[in-house]
Amino acid sequence: MKHIYTGLLLCLCFFSNAQITITGTVTDAVSTTTLPFVNITSNTGLGTTTNDDGTYSIVVSSNTDTLTFSFLGFKSQTIVVGDQTLINIALEEDSAALDEVVITALGLERDTKELGYAVQAISSKSLNEVKTINFLDNLQGKLAGVTVTQGATGVGSSSKITIRGEASFSNNNPLFVVDGVPINNETVFNFTNEAAAGFQEIDFGNGGMEVNPDDIASVTVLKGPSAAALYGTRASNGVIVIDTKNGSNKRGLGISINTSLFVDSAFRLPDFQNSYGQGNSGQFEYVDGLGGGINDNITYSWGPRLDTGLLIPQFDSPVQLANGSFVRGGDTALYNGLDITATPFVSNPDNLKDFYQTGTTTINNISVSNGFDTGNYRLSFTDLRSESIIPGVNLDRQTVAAKLNFNPSEKTKINASISYINSSSDNRPSNGYGSENANYSLVAWGPRSLNIENLKDYWQPGLEGTQQYSFNYTFFDNPYFILNENTNSFNRDRIFGNISITQELAKNLSVSLRTGMDYSTEKRQLRRAYSSNRFSNGAYAEHDVMFREVNTDFLINYKNQFNDFSVDVFLGGNRLNQTATTNQSQTVSLAQPGIYNLNNAASPIESFQFESEKRINSFYGITKFGYKDFLFLDITGRNDWSSALATPFSVDGTSFFYPSVSSSFILSNVAELPSIFSFAKLRASVAQVGNDTSAYQTSGAFVSQTPYNSEPTFSNQDFIPNSNLKPERTTSYEFGTDLRFLDNKLRLDFTYYNANTEDQIISLPVAISSGYSQQVVNGGKVNTQGVEIILGITPIQTDNFNWNTNFNFATNRSVIKDLPQSDGRLTLAYSRIYDSSNQTVWFQVEEGGRVGDFYGTGYQKNENGEFLIDDNGNYIADDNLQKLGNYNPDFTLGWRNNFNYKNWNMSFLFDWRQGGEVVSRTRALGNVGGQLAETSYRPEDGIVAQGVNVNTGAANTVAITAESYYRQFYDRNHEENNVYDASFLKLRQFSIGYTFNFKDGFLGLKEGADLNLSLVGNNLFAITENPHFDPEQLAIQGNGFVSGVEDMSYATTRSIGFKAGFNF
Amino acid sequence: MNSELNNKIPFFKEMKIEFSMKKFIYTISILSLIFTTSCTKNFEDINTNPNSPSSVQPSLLLRQVIYDFGENMSYEGFVAGDLLSQHRTALDFNLFDRHALKSPQLGGNPWPIFYTNLRDNEIILNQSQTVETFAVYEGPALILKAYLAAGLTDLFGDVPYFEAFNGVEGSVTPTYDLQEDIYLNDNGILDNLDKGIAAIEAYSNAIPLEGDILFNGDLQAWVKFANALKIKHLLRISDKVDVSSAMQSLYDEGNYITSNSENAIFNFTNTDPNSFRLAQLRIGDFNNFVLSETMEDILVNLNDTRMSSLFRPFSNSTTNEFNGLLNGIDASSTSIALADYSLASTAFREDTSTLDANFITAWEVQFALAEAAAKNIISADAQTLYNNGVTLAFEYWNTELPADYLNGPAAYNAFGSNPIEQILTQKWIANVINGYEGWIEYRRTGFPELRTISASLNNDSIPVRMPYPAEEEALNFENYSVAAAATDNNSINVPVWWNE
Repeated sequence: MKHIYTGLLLCLCFFSNAQITITGTVTDAVSTTTLPFVNITSNTGLGTTTNDDGTYSIVVSSNTDTLTFSFLGFKSQTIVVGDQTLINIALEEDSAALDEVVITALGLERDTKELGYAVQAISSKSLNEVKTINFLDNLQGKLAGVTVTQGATGVGSSSKITIRGEASFSNNNPLFVVDGVPINNETVFNFTNEAAAGFQEIDFGNGGMEVNPDDIASVTVLKGPSAAALYGTRASNGVIVIDTKNGSNKRGLGISINTSLFVDSAFRLPDFQNSYGQGNSGQFEYVDGLGGGINDNITYSWGPRLDTGLLIPQFDSPVQLANGSFVRGGDTALYNGLDITATPFVSNPDNLKDFYQTGTTTINNISVSNGFDTGNYRLSFTDLRSESIIPGVNLDRQTVAAKLNFNPSEKTKINASISYINSSSDNRPSNGYGSENANYSLVAWGPRSLNIENLKDYWQPGLEGTQQYSFNYTFFDNPYFILNENTNSFNRDRIFGNISITQELAKNLSVSLRTGMDYSTEKRQLRRAYSSNRFSNGAYAEHDVMFREVNTDFLINYKNQFNDFSVDVFLGGNRLNQTATTNQSQTVSLAQPGIYNLNNAASPIESFQFESEKRINSFYGITKFGYKDFLFLDITGRNDWSSALATPFSVDGTSFFYPSVSSSFILSNVAELPSIFSFAKLRASVAQVGNDTSAYQTSGAFVSQTPYNSEPTFSNQDFIPNSNLKPERTTSYEFGTDLRFLDNKLRLDFTYYNANTEDQIISLPVAISSGYSQQVVNGGKVNTQGVEIILGITPIQTDNFNWNTNFNFATNRSVIKDLPQSDGRLTLAYSRIYDSSNQTVWFQVEEGGRVGDFYGTGYQKNENGEFLIDDNGNYIADDNLQKLGNYNPDFTLGWRNNFNYKNWNMSFLFDWRQGGEVVSRTRALGNVGGQLAETSYRPEDGIVAQGVNVNTGAANTVAITAESYYRQFYDRNHEENNVYDASFLKLRQFSIGYTFNFKDGFLGLKEGADLNLSLVGNNLFAITENPHFDPEQLAIQGNGFVSGVEDMSYATTRSIGFKAGFNF
Repeated sequence: MNSELNNKIPFFKEMKIEFSMKKFIYTISILSLIFTTSCTKNFEDINTNPNSPSSVQPSLLLRQVIYDFGENMSYEGFVAGDLLSQHRTALDFNLFDRHALKSPQLGGNPWPIFYTNLRDNEIILNQSQTVETFAVYEGPALILKAYLAAGLTDLFGDVPYFEAFNGVEGSVTPTYDLQEDIYLNDNGILDNLDKGIAAIEAYSNAIPLEGDILFNGDLQAWVKFANALKIKHLLRISDKVDVSSAMQSLYDEGNYITSNSENAIFNFTNTDPNSFRLAQLRIGDFNNFVLSETMEDILVNLNDTRMSSLFRPFSNSTTNEFNGLLNGIDASSTSIALADYSLASTAFREDTSTLDANFITAWEVQFALAEAAAKNIISADAQTLYNNGVTLAFEYWNTELPADYLNGPAAYNAFGSNPIEQILTQKWIANVINGYEGWIEYRRTGFPELRTISASLNNDSIPVRMPYPAEEEALNFENYSVAAAATDNNSINVPVWWNE
C-alpha cells in the first residue's frame, strides 16, 4: 500500500514539478544552415522536433535533465540542461556510420540504442559512392548477414537477396518497404517449355531493383523477425526498409546534379583450349552444317589439331559461284552442293572475348528541393541508360520521384511520397540450357575453330529475314542472330508511393492514416525469326504482367512519461489487397516473316493466363516502455487474417496471432565501466511470426491443355491442394551487444540468433505414381543459428586525415530437424537440362542436413573413394543420388575502408565468401564438347582413368581415347565431377574522389555549393577456384531462382566509371 | 495553420482539420468495427481460383487422356521404343540406345505419361459412376484404364496400381502391385475390360459420348477396342495362364477391330499444335535418329517396300539406297557422317498428316490371332490371319502391297522359315512408333532376333524391362524398396511376370 502512495506521490510530483522551457536553434555545423525536423528528446522521454526554421521549444522538469538532439545522417548530441534556457546546437554530419537513428516500422524513426534487435543501415552516400543499376547489388558486403547474388544475363537481371540465410523451404524473400509501405520484389517469369522446344526462361528483373539509388536517403535492414508485428507475415525473412530523400533542410531552391558514366567489360571468361578444332574422332569437314560433311552436324572440338597448316572447308570458307562471285560455305540454303574452298584450320583464342563488347552505363540525376514555411518538398528526375557487354542487350530507366512533407498546422503532418518509373529493354537474353541462350552456341557448343566475328553478318544473302547464316544448322542458332533478331523486350510502368496524415489529437495522443500503393504494368514481347532452331517459321509471344498492391493503415499513438518511466503505445490496423495478373499469348509459327503481331499467327494462338488475388487484414499493437535512459522494452502483438488460408467454402483457420518482446539495456548508462568503454549496450529479443502462402493452394482445379483439332482439353492440376493449411511459424531468439571503445574509435556489434521455423507450407514433391507431382502440406522444422559481427575501427582521426574501416562478418547454419514425411529426403527444387530427370541437380533436405544441400549422380567408387573402372577402361555410372555440396557459404566477410584526406576521399570494399559449392553446366558441357582448357591434354595413346578395376581391384591400366575419357568424366548425366568450390574473394568496389567546396558567392552560387568528382570501379578482381566464370551465380528453373548451379551464364561485368556530383 | 498559406491555397482553407477527442473515439470505433466485421469478409471468393475450373465435363478430360497419351507415346515410340526394338538408332546423346535405360535424355521416361493420364482417366471414371448424366463415360474410362495399366505393367513389371493415381483421396505413396494381380485381379486389366464392355452394353441413355477422338462417340467401336485389347493381353500372358477358351470365344464372336477403319487411332496434322512432335522439335533432334541396321536387314531381306514409307534414302546415296547403322554406338569413338545413313521418312517430320497415334490396330489383332492359331491356343487358320495382318499393315503404312510379297519373301511357312518368327517379324515391322510394342513383343517371343549393339552399357544383354525412375526411389522409397528388391535392385535384366 505504501508503495502505491509513493507512486501516486511521484506522479503528483511529476505534474507539479517546476517546469523549465528550453528554446534554441539547431544548425548544420558545417554549412551553418538551420535544420528542421531534428528530433529532440529528453532523458525523461519527452520529445519534439525543430520547426522549419530549425527552432524548437521543449519543457523539461529539472536542470539535471538532458536533451538529445538526433537527426538522420548527423551525429547525435546530448546536453545537460543546467542553467540554460537557450540551447543552440550545431550538429555534425556523420559520414562514418549512420547508426544513431534508424527508420523502422511505419517510417518511425528510432534511436538504435532503444532497439532490442539487430538492425543495420547504410546511407545514401554509401549507396551512391559506386552506383549499381540494381541497388541490391550495392548492399553486398556492406551488411552483416545480408547476401545478394546477381542474375546471369547482364544488366537488368534479377538479384536475389537473403537475410540470415534460408530457413524456409519455400520462401526466403525479405520484405521491401519504401517510406513505410511495402513494395513488390517479385521476379515474374514468362511461360516456358521445359523440353528442348518453345521459349526458355527470361529474367525481366526483380521488382526491388527499380528503387532509384539517387532517391534513397537510407537503407535499413531489419534482420530478424522482431519487427514483424509492424510489417506482418512477410517480414519473417527480414525487412529492407528504404527511406527516400526529403526536401531541403534550408529555405530556397537547392539543386543537385549527379552524373555517372561507367564502362563495362566482361569480368571472367571461360578458360578455353586452343589446340583442337571442330569435329569428332579427329575428323571434320563442313558441307552443310547438318551432317552432310564429316561431323559437321555436331560442334564438339574433338576434331583435327589447329594451327598446323591444315586446310579444311569451313562454314566461313569461300564458295565461288558460276558468275565468279563468292558466298560463304554456310550459305547453304541457296548454294548447297557447291564446292567449298578449304581454308586454314586455325585457333581463335579470343573469339569469345571479342564477342563481348564494351558496355556503357550513364546515370544522370537532377533533383530540386525547397523548404517553405510549413514544409518542404523534393523533386527528382533520373535517367539511366545502359548498354550491356552482351551485344543488343540494354536497359533504360527513367525515374521521377516526388516527396512532400507538409505541416498545415502544428498538430497536423501530411506526407506524400511517390515514384514513377519507366523501365524498358530492347532485349533481355534467354536463360538456361538450350538454343535460345547464346552461350549454348558460344561456349558449350562453340567449337574452338569458330571465328565468331564471321557470324556477324547473320543472314544468308538473298534470304534476309528468312534464313540465318550459321556455323551449324542442326542444334544451334548464330549468337548474333539470337541477340539481334530473337529479342525479348519489355516496357514497364510502375508507380509506388503513399500519402499519410498524422494528427495530434491531444498532448500525448496522435493518429495516423496512410494508404500506399505499388502498381506496375508491363508489356513483354518475345520475337523469334524464321529459321530459328526452335521455331523454323518464327514465333511471337506477348506477355502482359500487372501487379497491384494497396496497403491501408491506421495507427494510434499514445505516449507519456511517468517520472522515470516512459510509455509509448501504438495500436494499428492494416489491410493489404494484392492483385496480380499475367497473360501470355503466343503463336509458334508466323505467316509472314518479321511481322511480330498475333494477327500474323500461322498456328492457333495459345494463351496462358493467370490471375491471383489476396487479402490480409491485420490488427497490431506495440508498447514501448523505457526506464530512465538505460532500459527499454518493446512488446508487440499482431493478428492477421489471410485470404490465402481460406477455402472456397470456409474461412476457418485464416486467423493467426504472433507476439514479440525485445529489450535493450544500456550498461554504460548504469554502471561505471572502465574508461576504455565509451558505450555498452546489451539487447535481447524473442519473436514469433506467422507466414501464409500464395493464393489458391487450398482447392483443386483443372488446367487447360493442348487442344486437339481446336477442341478443348483439360487435365487436373498437378498438385494436391490442402484445405486445412495452417500458417508457417518462425520463433526466433536473439541477443546481442553493442560496445564502443576508445571514444567510439572501436565499435563492436555482436549478434547471436537462434530461430526455429515450423509448419512450413511446402509444395512437397510426391511420387508421380500418386497421379500428382506435388502436394501442399504443412510440416518440417528448420533450426537456424547464426552470428553476426560488425567491427568498426577508426584507426586514424586527425583534422585532415580520417580512416574508417568496417568488417561485416556473418555465419549461419540452417539445419533440418524434422521433415513432413517419415523418411528419405525432401526435394525443394531442382535444376535440370531440358525435362530430363536424369540431368538434374536436386535440392533436397534430410533430417540433420542443411538447407542448400544438393544432390546428383556420379560414378561408382570403392570404399576408399577410388573410381571403379570396367575392363574396357571406362567409368561405371552410379545412378544413386549422392550429395554434391551445399550452396550456402560457411561465412561471409565484407571489409570496407574509407579514407578522407582534406577534400580527398577514397574507399574500397573487399567481399569474401568462404565455402559452398556450385555445379557448373559450363564445365560439364564445355568439357564434354572439348572446348575448355581441362581437355587440352589429349595423348595419342589415350588416357588411363584413375581408379581400380572393378573385377580385380588392381589399378586400372586400360587407356581410352581422350575424347571418351573427358566425355565420361564430365558427363552432364553425372554431375559429380562438375562441382566447384564457390568460395571467392572479390575486390567489389573502389572509389577515389575529390570535392571542391566553392566559396560563397563563387559564380553567384549560394553558400555551401560543392562539386564532387570521383573515379569508381565495381567487380575489379576475384580469386576463386573455378577458372571459367564469376562464382556468384543464380540459375532459373520453373519460375524460380536456384542457387548453386551455374547454368550457361553470361559473363558478369567489371565496371570502371567516372562520377560527378554538383550541389548548389 | 499558417494563414498566409491558407490564403494562397484554397484547398487548405476549406479543409478544416480539427479533431476532438469525441470525434476521434467515434472514428476509431467505426474503423475498428469495419475492420473486425470484415476481417474475413469475401475470403472464400478471394481465394477461389478464377483461372481454372474446379470441375470439368468428362468430355474435356477424355479428349485430353486420349490425345495426351497418344501424342506422348508416339513420341516415346520414335525416340526410345524404336531404339529398344532396333527400328532406328541414335547417333549421339544415346545412353538410352546403349541400354543405360536409367539415363533417359530426350524421351525414354514413359512413367509419368501413364500415371498422369491414369489420374485424369480415374476422374472420368469417378464422375461416370457418381453423376447419372455422365454414365456413358464409364465403359470407355474402364477400357482406357485397362489399356493404360497394361501398357504400364508390360514395361515395368510390378507397379503401383490399386492404390495409385489417386493422391487426393488416397495415398501419395502407393504400394507396388504384382503384375499378375494387375492382370488378373478384380479391377485389374482383364476385369476392367469386361466391366467396360458390360457398362457399355448396360448403357441405354441417350446422352452421347463426347471428347472421343478415337471413335467419335461410337460405343460399339469401344466394345471392339476392348475385345481387341483382350486378345492382345490374353496372348501376352499365355505363357503363364491358360487363355485358350477365352481367346477362342473372342475369335469366334469376331466382335473386335478387323479393318483399318475400325482402328483405335487418331490422326496427327501437319501444323502445330497437333503435328507429330518430331515435326515441332529442332532439326537436330530429328537428324539424331537414323535407320537401324536390324531394320535395314529385315526389310531388305523381305524386299519390303515399306522401307521408303518409313525411311528416306541416305543423302550420299546416288541410287536411292537405304543404309542403317548398328544400334548403340559410342559416339565419342565413332566418326559418323549423317549423310551416309537413312533418316526417317517425311511422314515423321515434313508431312505428319499421314501418321497416326496408334492405340491398337486391326493388323496387330490379326497378328495376335495368327500367333495364337500357330501355337494352337485357338483353332483358326494361322496363314489367313497372317496374310490379313500383312495386308492391313501395308495399308496402314500407306504402302501398296507388292503382288508377290505374300507368295515370295514373306510367304507364310515358306521353306526354311519359322511361322511364329514370321508373324512376329511382320508385327514388329508395322510396330514403328507404336510405343514400346516392338521391344515388348521381342521380350515375349524373342522375335525378330535383335543384334548385339555396338557399345552396350548393359554387358551386351538386351534389357527386358524398363527401370523404375529415380523419382520413385526418392519419393516413394519404402514401397520402391520392395519392388527394387524383387528386381535385383531395379535391374533392367530381370524379366516381368509374363516373361519369367
